[in-house]
Order: sequence, then structure tokens, then C-alpha cells
Amino acid sequence: MTKEFFKQVAKPGFMLIIVAALTLGVSSFIQSYFSVKGIKNGAMLRAEGQLEFDRLRIMDVVNQAEAAVRNSVWIASWCLNVPDSQQVVARRVVEDNPIVVGSTLALVPGYDPKHPLSAPYACREGDKIVIKSLATEEYDYPSQEWFAKAIEAGEGYWSEPYIDEGGGNILMTTYSVPIKDKNGQIAAVLTADLSLDWLAQLANNILVYDNAYSVVLSRQGKMMVGPKNEDQNENEKVQTYTTKVERTGWTLSIVIPDDEIFGGIRRVVGMVTILQLLGIGMLILILRFVAKNQMKYNEINEKKAAIESELHIASAIQKGMLPKNFPTSAQRDDVTLYASLTPAKDVGGDLFDFYIRDEKLFFCIGDVSGKGVPASLFMAVTRSIFRTVSAHESMPDRIMTEMNKTIADMNETSMFVTLFVGVLDLPTGRLRYCNAGHDAPLLVGAGVGLLPCDSNIPVGVKASWKYTLQEAPLFPGTTIFLYTDGLTEAEDVSHAQFQMQRINDVAVQALAGQKHEPQQLIDMMTNAVHRFVGNAEQSDDLTMMAVQYTKQQRDVRLLKSIVLNNDIQEVPQLAAFVDEVCEAVGFNPAVTMQMNLALEEAVVNVMNYAYPPGIRGKVTIDASANDVRLKFTIIDRGRPFDPTVQADVDTTLSVKERPIGGLGIHIVRQIMDSINYERIDGQNVLTLRKKL
Amino acid sequence: MQVTIQEQDGNMIATLEGRLDTAAAPETEKAMSPLLDCEGKDIIIDCTKMEYISSSGLRIFLSIMKNTNGSHVYIRNITDDVRAVFVMTGFIHLFEFK
Repeated sequence: MTKEFFKQVAKPGFMLIIVAALTLGVSSFIQSYFSVKGIKNGAMLRAEGQLEFDRLRIMDVVNQAEAAVRNSVWIASWCLNVPDSQQVVARRVVEDNPIVVGSTLALVPGYDPKHPLSAPYACREGDKIVIKSLATEEYDYPSQEWFAKAIEAGEGYWSEPYIDEGGGNILMTTYSVPIKDKNGQIAAVLTADLSLDWLAQLANNILVYDNAYSVVLSRQGKMMVGPKNEDQNENEKVQTYTTKVERTGWTLSIVIPDDEIFGGIRRVVGMVTILQLLGIGMLILILRFVAKNQMKYNEINEKKAAIESELHIASAIQKGMLPKNFPTSAQRDDVTLYASLTPAKDVGGDLFDFYIRDEKLFFCIGDVSGKGVPASLFMAVTRSIFRTVSAHESMPDRIMTEMNKTIADMNETSMFVTLFVGVLDLPTGRLRYCNAGHDAPLLVGAGVGLLPCDSNIPVGVKASWKYTLQEAPLFPGTTIFLYTDGLTEAEDVSHAQFQMQRINDVAVQALAGQKHEPQQLIDMMTNAVHRFVGNAEQSDDLTMMAVQYTKQQRDVRLLKSIVLNNDIQEVPQLAAFVDEVCEAVGFNPAVTMQMNLALEEAVVNVMNYAYPPGIRGKVTIDASANDVRLKFTIIDRGRPFDPTVQADVDTTLSVKERPIGGLGIHIVRQIMDSINYERIDGQNVLTLRKKL
Repeated sequence: MQVTIQEQDGNMIATLEGRLDTAAAPETEKAMSPLLDCEGKDIIIDCTKMEYISSSGLRIFLSIMKNTNGSHVYIRNITDDVRAVFVMTGFIHLFEFK
């Protein structure tokens, strides 16, 4: 079970984790992908912006340099014919343009026959401008790029940058413009030297990224501005953005290490991934926890369901145990009975029982201390002991005493039961009863009142307690209403109790409307309680029983009477008596013979047991009849002897197993419709009845 | 109650006549005591003329049944009324009837 169940929970759990992980992963991936793209774009825009800015600044300088030279082109051309005026032009170029660090007007070799090589060079030295000459052998200016290429290009020419050793190792570049003479021939080259130290500063003044650097390459690919060596990491990944500077043909690039651009997002992605993994990890832990709890919960639920189903079965068993065949007015003309029991839980501790034996109604109602399963078990035991004891005891006080001894002896759990036991003699309406701590029943007949009850202690408390017997006559039409404290203490939502007064009122109402038959009375009471309780939960078992004595006295005519001595030899006299009586009521011979047999057995029994051996005693036999039955009453003054409590004969036993004796009462029961014993005023009174 | 005991075809036959009630029981029992010394012969109790039997009579029959030494005990010709009593007490199953 555990494995399968774990699979059941683990599978969806697994799927949950996988889905969560996928969702997170994919969404993270998408986010980071687009973020990176966006950042890259952003970087590109920024870099391009920066590049453009730098380029414009460079162009600005370039234009200035070009302008410096161009402005002096016409005067340079004019100076060609003026000896020694070259240096003036050169000086002017330098003077007028602060960015120009040097300038020369160099003649094409051989143009001036007097000075075949002439290249006066004006340059700054500190605050002053000095004139030098470039026309040295070592320098050989005609072969210099700035000279030769300008003449070759025929227009303005920017030279490749170079280090000017003479001028302090500065990176320089020269803009040269060929100068034409009056005849249109190129006669000289006018230059402006530009120091490029500002270039490095400008290029590396990158505002947007800390670790980015610029690279400026000359037209021929020579690096003019580049990273310091420490900055460079050959294996570093970089993004490079490039623009071209016109006129000089330089390439201006910004190099940004990837780390600079993406470092931030990478760290974020890293953190997010870690968080996601932590999250997934926690999810797994939580799922495991939930699964464990779920299994525990399911186990508990299964156990609970098992207990509940057992309780339901126990409840059904308990219901089944209660007697259901209530004698109705259709079935019996002497007593009607009805009862109802509603447990508060599935099983309860209230009990009632009744049965009729030998024209006596044995009934009881009780309440076991407590509720639920323990009380229900105790209730079952109590009921079964009631049946066992009352099978051989007809007096309620003796029944109660014996029940109490048995129950108190086996009572380990200090439970007890309040009990009311009643024995109603149906022929006479005499009620004998004993109350053990139970609520006094209500008598509903001439009026409504409580049956007076002695206060005996409940059953099961003290094994040696002697219970008291009480008697009351029941007149025809009277109903005894019995109940447990589930009725008096029924609570409504505000915990107010139903109480005795209300029970009384309902009974009075029932009596007034002549509706005090057992089922009617109980139904009325049930409705009243339900109305009172309303929606509140039932707090205790609700049990009610009602017994109505309905026997109408019929006209009786006494037929005959005979008195015999306790001598079995007088049995023939009894036979003659019985024959006469049976003839008088019109019994046929077969029935008459049976009457004879029954009377003989009953009377012989009395003769043998009522009086001590050797003592002469009298036995009186009365015969009376009403319109429905014939009745024989056998009376003696001997010791109390109840023949009805002898165990019935087991007629299924074989010869060997049969005891000799014990048949007499069995025969009487078989033949007569009822047999009833009472001890009245020191006399044994045994009544045998036969329907006509 | 009259009791007659004869031997016939190797069987002991006891013929009962009259009412076997509690008053008659002691005498009847005494009269039937020879049946207990039947020495293996079968016993037949003829009840053709027995009008009535009560529990004392049944007891006598039962004690005969119990105390024979292996002999079969048969009861012959019981009346309907007497049969009813045997049924009522379950004695109908204890005896063999001819």
C-alpha cells in the first residue's frame, strides 16, 4: 500500500516539479535572451553614440588643421617668388593655429636654382616659435611621405602617423597640401604638423563604460591609440564597434569587454538561477513533507472509516437486540406496549426490555452511566442478565438484587446502571416493581402523577444491597410512562432542559384528549421534545416506554369448587370434578381428557411440594368461566412454591439423557393457554386458563 | 387400572386396561416389575384399553425402558388421546410403536 500510494502522490509531485522547473527555466531563458539582446543593442547604441561624438571631435581637429593649411595656400603660392618668405608662411601657419605644432613650406627640389633644397620649418618650442630647416641630408625631405605623397596625390594629403623623435617622441601626423605656382605647376608643399597626444586622451575619455577602451588605427592599420598593456587580455571576449574618420582615413573603434556589458545581467541570471534551484529544492522538500502528511492522513482516515463502519455494525446489532414485537390492542386484550430508543451516538447505554411469561409482563428500562461503546457493552450485558434472572424470578426486588450481585461482582470499570424493573400481573392488573436509582415513571390514568418509588441505589454499585419491593394496582386504561434522563435533560441550543414539567404537561394534554395509548403518548412526547430541542445536537440517548393495562373485566360465573386433601389417591375425585366442569362449558371428550391431564399434573405437583412431607393440607380448586375462557384456580396454604419457574423440559433429549420427573408443568403448559402463579395473603394461587 | 402380564411368541406382553393416573401409578408400577426380569425377551406393552395416561405413567414407561438389559420395549395400540400426550412430551420419539 505505501509504495503504490507513494507512486500516486510522487507522480503528480514529480510532474509538478518538472513543470515548475521547465516553466522557470524557459521563462528565465527567454528573459535573459531578450535582456542580453536588449543590452547588446543598448551597448551598441551607446558605443555608436560615443564613437560619433569622438569622430566629430576628431573631425573638428582635422578640419581645423586642414583649414590652417588651406588658408595659407594662396599666400604660400605668392611667396614662392619672394626669397626667404617661406619661413614666414610657415611661421604664420603655426602662429595662427594653436593646434599646429609645426609647419613647413618645402620647395620641390630644384625649383629654386639658388636653393635646390629648401624646407624651413617653423615649430613650437615652449612659448616661442623657432625656425629650423628640414633640408638636411639625413632627413631627405623629398622622399618623406608628407612631401612625396602630397605631390603624387595632387591635393591635400594626410600622412601616416609617426613618432617624432626630434620633437619628444610624440605621435604626429602631417597634413600636406601641394602648392602650385603661377603656371599651375606644383612647386612646393605646405604642411601642418598635428600632435596626436590629444587623440589618445579624447579617444579614451569614454564616458559610458569603465573598462572599455578605444583603438584608433591609421589608414594603413598602424595603431595610433590603443589599450595600455595591462588592460588587454588576449582571451577576453569583447564587443567592437567601429567608425571611419574621413579625410585621414583613420579607423576609430570602441572595444568593450563583454564582461562590462553583460557582467550585470550575467550576475543577475546567476543569482536568479540559484534562487530558482533553491526554489525547486524547497518545492521538492515541501512536496515530500506534504506526501508524508498525506499518507499519514490517509492512514488515519482509513482507520477512522474502519472504526466508523464497525460502529455502524455495532449500532445495527444493538438495534437488533431491542425487542420489537410490541403487543398491540389487536394482539392482546389485556396490555398494550410501545417503546422507542434513539441513541445519541451510533451506540448508546440506554436499554429497555419486555416480555410476557405466564400471564405476567416483565419489563424494565435503564440507563448505563456514560455513552458510546463502553456503555453499549454494559447495556447488552445488563439486558441479558435481566432475561436470565427473570426467567426464574418473578419478584422485581429479587430480580434486582440478583442482577445487582452479578453485575457488581463483574464490574471492573465502576460503571453502573439505573434501572426500573416491573412485573405486571395481567389477569389482576397488580403491578409489582422495584426502582434502582432511575427516574420515577409517570402514571397516566385517573390523572397524571408520579409512581411513588423508593430510592434504591443504582445497580452495579454495591453487591450486597437489598432492593425493596413495591406494589400498586393498575386500573384498566392506565398507562405507565417510563423514560430515561435523555428526555428530562434534552437540551435546546441555549442549553435549557426539557424538564419534568413539560413531560407532565404533554401527558396531561394526552390524557385530556384520550390519546394516552402507548404509541400515541410516545409520539406526542417525541414531537414535543423535537420541537423543544430544535437544531441542537442530541446530547444523550432518548428512551421512552409506555405500558397500558387494557384488560376489561368480564362477567365471570363461578361454576364449581372442590377441596381436596394433599393425597394423590384423591385424584379420581379431581377427575370427576373436571369432567363435570368441562361438560358444563361444552368441551368435547378429547379436550376434556386434556383438561383432566393438566389439572392432574398441576394438582399433584401442589400436593407433592406445597406442604412438608407428612403434613396434611388442603388444596382448593375453583373453576370459573367468562365468555371467552375457562379458568381453574388451584389454591393452597403451603410454603411459597412457584411451579412456573421450573426450567422447561427438554423434550429433544434421548432416553438415556432424560431425567425422570419434571414433565408435569411441561404438560400443563402445552395443554393450557396460560399458567399464572401468584402468592397472595399466604396462599399459593396457581391459575390455569383455557380458551373456549 | 388393570395389569396383565403374559408370555407370547417369545415376548413379554403387558396389557394395561383403564386409567393410568397418579393415583393408580404406584400399583401399576409394582404390577409391571416382573418385566424387568425378562432375560433378553422383548417387551410389548399393550395399551389398547388404556384410556388415559399422565406423567406418572410416562415415568413408569421410561423407567422400564431404562432398566431393561438390552431388551426392546414396544408399545402397542395407543389411542389418539394417549398419542397426543406422547407427542406433547416428546415421548413419541423415545419408544418404538407397533
